[in-house]
Amino acid sequence: MELPVLNAHQPAAAKGGCSASSCGSTDDQVNQLPDHIREKVQNHPCYSEDAHHYFARMHVAVAPACNIQCHYCNRKYDCANESRPGVVSELLTPEQAVKKTMAVAATIPQMTVLGIAGPGDPLANPERTFATFRMLTEQAPDIKLCVSTNGLSLPESVEELSKANIDHVTITINTVDAEIGAQIYPWIFWKNRRIKGKKGAQILIDQQQKGLEMLVAKGILVKVNSVMIPGINDQHLAEVSKIVKSKGAFLHNVMPLIAEAEHGTFYGVMGQRGPSPDELMDLQEACSGDMNMMRHCRQCRADAVGLLGEDRGSEFTLDKIDAMEIDYAAAMEMRKQVHEGILSDMEEKRAAQAAKSKPKVPAGTRPVLMAVATTGQSLINQHFGHAKEFQIYQASPEGVKFMSHRKTDQYCSGDSTCGEAESALARTIRSLEGCEAVLCSKIGYEPWDLLEQAGIMPNGEHAMENIEDAVMAVYLEMLAAGKLAEEPEKKQRANA
Amino acid sequence: MALKIIESCVNCWACLPVCPTEAIYEAKPHFLIDAKKCTECEGSFADSQCASICPIEGAILNSLGEAMNPPGSLTGIPPERMAQAMAELAAH
Repeated sequence: MELPVLNAHQPAAAKGGCSASSCGSTDDQVNQLPDHIREKVQNHPCYSEDAHHYFARMHVAVAPACNIQCHYCNRKYDCANESRPGVVSELLTPEQAVKKTMAVAATIPQMTVLGIAGPGDPLANPERTFATFRMLTEQAPDIKLCVSTNGLSLPESVEELSKANIDHVTITINTVDAEIGAQIYPWIFWKNRRIKGKKGAQILIDQQQKGLEMLVAKGILVKVNSVMIPGINDQHLAEVSKIVKSKGAFLHNVMPLIAEAEHGTFYGVMGQRGPSPDELMDLQEACSGDMNMMRHCRQCRADAVGLLGEDRGSEFTLDKIDAMEIDYAAAMEMRKQVHEGILSDMEEKRAAQAAKSKPKVPAGTRPVLMAVATTGQSLINQHFGHAKEFQIYQASPEGVKFMSHRKTDQYCSGDSTCGEAESALARTIRSLEGCEAVLCSKIGYEPWDLLEQAGIMPNGEHAMENIEDAVMAVYLEMLAAGKLAEEPEKKQRANA
Repeated sequence: MALKIIESCVNCWACLPVCPTEAIYEAKPHFLIDAKKCTECEGSFADSQCASICPIEGAILNSLGEAMNPPGSLTGIPPERMAQAMAELAAH
């Protein structure tokens, strides 16, 4: 997966990053959370939209075994998080994982979080997983530890998790209904037997819910991940969101199904489609009334290293880390300074943003989606043609809010227009469906014309400006031009 | 009497910790079962543990050389559908 590198790698670069409110000025915001939770997540990129512009995470692939089968996963190619099927992760021993973690921590001081997320289920490999956590707690106490699980073995692991000083757990919960579960999970391995169908799904659901309650009772923060599978659980996830929130989960991350025949997964081979960007966004909106939603997930690999959306794993292969000399005490001192610098910078930006006067847009004015090409630092600083993903923002009378990111090399959503004949440019434009403007630093003639034909206004006038300010400026221009009085024009601009 | 792991094994480790007689060991290019130690779980469990957790159809054979988990039994993908999808991909 080649995604834009959002940071530069020197601590000074941490001064960039996007402003606090650029990434959603609603309840999604980490600064709306209670203080004790905000304290815990303000430097966790997977739990705080704000933090993910500044802080990095890494996963170590120490947990190969799995105790369930999901229809979106094929163990031959790792799990669905694997963005490049066929590329097999380097499986690490706990000792190798600790060495790698410390090498990354010393090289990328913004790396605050070490997660174990597979490639199987971490809690189905308790010895390897907990050995890694124990060593890290002792040797690298400044690194936050977290774990992702399908939940089947969660209740029996809660005690050990709390001992290992883990304060963030992600549970993948795709359903609370065994009928639906049977269409997602063909079998589980439970009490020495393989249990198929609805019976297996019911056990998994019960274990997930029990594990969630036990974690919350221990004061461990829980994020719930759900895979949105059109026609299977899409109508059901808003209910899941309500239930997990009522049990104390603090964040819900609804992700799109990735299903391609070449992955060899059940859904891929059977032609199950993933959701379109619009469908995903609608569901996230539907859930957001009840729950804090995570919208910046990049569905990373079980061995990803770096900021979300980048992967620096190739810099830390076993042979490379073997050659590194790490003075962790010195690294820890340096990391502390970098983290303090970033946090005070974030605080400053939050305060500056809060002090800004709110633009005057009449209540009831319709919201507008805009796509932004950026390499980070909260600036419109990327050429349209260089963007490998676009950030989607919504402008409304309430302000500017981050909604999602869309890859330009979109996974096929399965509709009939998708085929080999479609050019990369046409695919990119299709991925921007629903947006009314694209803000970028520069753009060529060909895409300009095609965007206009698609009813999307190209805009290069705000190069190097703050994203949020530019999105609002364009929104105000649209308002002044009377474009917000009517519904968005669709594909009527061919001759404009 | 022993089970056998064959080359379609993907080295996912799931079987190793569940074997009651420690008959399974890591090897290259794939995990193997020590036939002298394997009891097919008789006397320990109703079902062979490795075959009950293995996610790969056809990777574990019984003493007659038959797949413990035949094609389609675990993923739910009908074998002909899988063959058709793979043929379409190969044609691309």
